[in-house]
Amino acid sequence: MGSVSIQSLDKIYPAAGKNPAFHAVKGIDLEIQDGEFMVLVGPSGCGKSTTLRMIAGLEDISGGTISIDRSTVNDLLPKDRGIAMVFQNYALYPHMNLFENMAFGLKLARTPKEEVMRRVTDAARILGLEQILDRKPAALSGGQRQRVAVGRAIVRDPKVFLFDEPLSNLDAKMRVSMRSEISKLHSRLKTTMIYVTHDQVEAMTMGDRICVMKDGRIMQVADPLTLYHQPENLFVASFIGSPPMNLLRGRVERREGRLVFVEAAESDAVFVPLAGALAQRAEKNLGHEVVLGLRPEAIYDEARGADTTPLRARVELSELMGSETNVYLKTGAGTVIARLHTERRFAVGEELVVYLALAKAHLFDAKTERVIR
Amino acid sequence: MKASTIRRLKLTLAHVFLVGFLVLTLTPFLMIIAISFRRGDLAIGALVPVGDNFSLEHWKYVLGIPYEAPGADGQPRIIRATTPVLLWFWNSLKVATVASACIILLSGTAAYAFARMRFALRGLLLKSLLVLQVFPMVLALVALYALLQLIGDFLPPFGLNTHPGLILTYLGGIAIYIWMIKGYFDTIPVSIEESAKIDGATHFQAFVRILLPMSAPIFAVVFILSFISHISEYPIASVVLQTERQWTLAVGAQSFLYEQNYLWGKFAATAVLSGLPITALFLACQRFLISGLTSGGVKE
Repeated sequence: MGSVSIQSLDKIYPAAGKNPAFHAVKGIDLEIQDGEFMVLVGPSGCGKSTTLRMIAGLEDISGGTISIDRSTVNDLLPKDRGIAMVFQNYALYPHMNLFENMAFGLKLARTPKEEVMRRVTDAARILGLEQILDRKPAALSGGQRQRVAVGRAIVRDPKVFLFDEPLSNLDAKMRVSMRSEISKLHSRLKTTMIYVTHDQVEAMTMGDRICVMKDGRIMQVADPLTLYHQPENLFVASFIGSPPMNLLRGRVERREGRLVFVEAAESDAVFVPLAGALAQRAEKNLGHEVVLGLRPEAIYDEARGADTTPLRARVELSELMGSETNVYLKTGAGTVIARLHTERRFAVGEELVVYLALAKAHLFDAKTERVIR
Repeated sequence: MKASTIRRLKLTLAHVFLVGFLVLTLTPFLMIIAISFRRGDLAIGALVPVGDNFSLEHWKYVLGIPYEAPGADGQPRIIRATTPVLLWFWNSLKVATVASACIILLSGTAAYAFARMRFALRGLLLKSLLVLQVFPMVLALVALYALLQLIGDFLPPFGLNTHPGLILTYLGGIAIYIWMIKGYFDTIPVSIEESAKIDGATHFQAFVRILLPMSAPIFAVVFILSFISHISEYPIASVVLQTERQWTLAVGAQSFLYEQNYLWGKFAATAVLSGLPITALFLACQRFLISGLTSGGVKE
């Protein structure tokens, strides 16, 4: 019922004054299933909000089509698209109380009074706002205001909910609780939700699937774990995960009959032998520029049999997190972060041997930035 | 010197300065009130009219109440005002109110377009409005006169010597109000209106039901400023309005100052009278002037 289909969608802002024309969304395709929680994530300026606003009908579409529930909505007004939107800055009507805020759309649609009453009180009950329906937005906390904004969306009974960075104005604690509240709301309503954020933690924890965008293009669409474990390209690899994946630029070479990865550096270059599946992939790129990717948690502080490869390096910095310690190790050209499950304190400059689980490593083509399979 | 002494000295100096400033502003105002309650039509006299000096003659004259005064032969006789001061008062009130209401309507919608819509020459038009308002409207007096005469040939109710005609000329000077209201609209996040659009509101509904109520403070300010400037406007009114019964208070008050005989008392009473509606309006609008009417709607 609430499926969304986006086909070769384009958004071009025409040149205005001194600003040249800006191609914000570059022909993206995206299929969102009915009832799915789809997260659009990416750095600012990647076109995620623009895409959402085009789905909402707040921005004109420069090219391509958007269909909601299998019918094209390109030329429909926002109110006729069966969508509801929650804005980053809540966008409540400050001169109306909460009830009026939530009932505004229904009143415009000339919904019968009892129906308005029922739907608003239902939404208020779901969100725990029943006691304060006569208050004005100014009398509410940030979390309550965002809840009202969500309530206003629920009242519309939309086919698709659109969220435009709804939590970024809340403080850290409120953000975590609203995050789980929206997730609960999704499992309760089972309505399609499209959620824009720049926060990869929100993306990972909330999304059924995540669409990673960059410079107006989709980099990868997948469920959170696929995105984490099988990034299609360097951008996704570096964007998802905190601390980010270690990326070492270098070259595949054959030394003494064995395939090795050699970091591109003047001195102290990381030098690791490649084996198994990784070696097969590397072989095709012998002599090419590649990027070796390894997650911080795939580096251990003790050997685990033949699966790990030792690496000697100097500690640059260590962050004690309590449950684990992030150790920044100096390599030839940069830094490698290791997430070690130890409470040991590391001294700056200390020489350390860590063990890399290279079976979990990724290889990327340095030129195309795509993963090597 | 001790720090506390210096502080006290600074405080005293500041107070002396402020009180001096107050005296400077209030004295002319108090003098006008004094003159309006003083017997005779002299500009100079007792600052506080008491006893023999005190008289209500000017106020009675202005309000059209007959009063007794010594005639040329020394015998008291009843004097009845020959000038329709109260009618001027009503004219002023009418012109200023209607002009201000129309100005709100015009500048509000124009400001909305400038603040929210993107169209060709938008920037140029905004800037030229700013430049044009630098020239006082009085400079165009001759042109206004000729235009009104022309309009009067086709639409007599809007011609010379009519109040609609005068209001029409006032509607030409709204550039500054457009700028003021646009500035206020610019501070209101677009997302609130977008939200209304998703809720099903048309452009017009979003403007009337969302933006306007949130903008009440600026409209109150614009109404008051426009009212004040138009209720006391003299140059244009004095040219456009030619007969005594059409005059506004500002034009009528000038008529008390004859070449050979300055009737300061009546002039002062008229001046105070014209200030009353402004005061009343200000008190009435005060509740709209509270700041922070938009607070709570969005997170800044």
